[in-house]
Amino acid sequence: MNVVILNGGPGDARGAVCQSIAESVADESRRRGWSVTVFDLDQMAIKPCRGCFACWLKHPGTCAIQDGQESVLRATAAADLQVWITPVAFGGYGPALKRSLDRLIPSILPFFIRVGGEVHHPQRYERRRRFLALGTLPAPDAEAERIFHGLVRRNALNFGNASAGSAVLEERTAKAAMDGRIKEMFESLEEQG
Amino acid sequence: MSIQMFGRSDKKKALLLIGSPRGAKSTSRVLGEALLGRLEAGGMEAAGMTVAAALQSTENQHRMHKAADAADLLVVSFPLYADQLPAPLVQVLELIADRRKGTLPASPAAGPGTQRIMAIVQCGFPETRQNLPAVDIMRLFAKEAGFEWAGALAMGMGGAVAGRPLEKAGGMVRHVVKALDMAAEALLDGREVPAEAAALMGRRLMPTWLYTFMGNRGMKRMAKKHGVLERIAARPYA
Repeated sequence: MNVVILNGGPGDARGAVCQSIAESVADESRRRGWSVTVFDLDQMAIKPCRGCFACWLKHPGTCAIQDGQESVLRATAAADLQVWITPVAFGGYGPALKRSLDRLIPSILPFFIRVGGEVHHPQRYERRRRFLALGTLPAPDAEAERIFHGLVRRNALNFGNASAGSAVLEERTAKAAMDGRIKEMFESLEEQG
Repeated sequence: MSIQMFGRSDKKKALLLIGSPRGAKSTSRVLGEALLGRLEAGGMEAAGMTVAAALQSTENQHRMHKAADAADLLVVSFPLYADQLPAPLVQVLELIADRRKGTLPASPAAGPGTQRIMAIVQCGFPETRQNLPAVDIMRLFAKEAGFEWAGALAMGMGGAVAGRPLEKAGGMVRHVVKALDMAAEALLDGREVPAEAAALMGRRLMPTWLYTFMGNRGMKRMAKKHGVLERIAARPYA
């Protein structure tokens, strides 16, 4: 099992929490004998998507911008499980994770197909996608959490009806509780198959 | 449009933030400017900028904050990227929210007492509902940053507009034009975007089968033009 962790924590206290979550995820994965690749996105200076669609129409599958995102594209194409970690920004993902996700467009095809009663794009790679999205908040916020979980469900549809799980953790969550939550999520994802 | 600032008039002010990385060529600009033009015709002073320009330098960020401080109404127009806002727009909203919450050293200059914000969001899929998480995110941003939420106009099939002026997009956008008229009238009146305008904006521009057929054919045609049709499903990282 190949696990790719996309850590979108920024270089501040929120980022330290994300780092701690990334370590817990990596530890749990290694305990299960899985291989782990971690990308600390904020340190990679990934540029934003330009919306040029060259990755569809000029050099299919590769991005026109040459930077650290190429290694993310390569790793996610071979991943069995992606784990996205980010501070929750107004219910959505923070800028560092979002910059990288926006530039996963080369991993889908330009055509339209029906998925779950809606129109979406087919996946470029056959490997079935599974992902977990872990958000952090300074304090409980029911509205932000509702939006976050809804967003993950939509992402799952756009990732070829992928198996997905999501959790929002308070920034002050104790390490043991965080480890327990991550273990539960892994087990739930394994049950989904 | 890179950065346009407000003058010194006493008119109510509307600021357009364009969240598309395609900037001047984008459908987000077309829709945002169409609404802004109506607000200007109704007596508001209008200014606008792209998010890319606002993030280009510290000086531009200051100009963005200055314009946002002075605006009575912010209009944020953007495309759906991976089911939500494009990353640079998230970054800009975080900067604005942090400043308004006093997290950043510079506090907002005294501006209008009540500031409102509305969003225009469009996606390339036929279903307008795919935009809903992005509208929710904008609404929560408004709450966290202390703006009064003035509603949203969301539409699918943005690919059918493809950055063309609405008057050149034909009869299929008549509902869009009407929705913009109704929204502008309400906003000028100090009201929220009416539900009827949101429903009109969200109407399909054509049957789904036709949109997907034309979209798929258009993609194949462009791939052929660029000489990559045979490689369009290539897997360079397999």
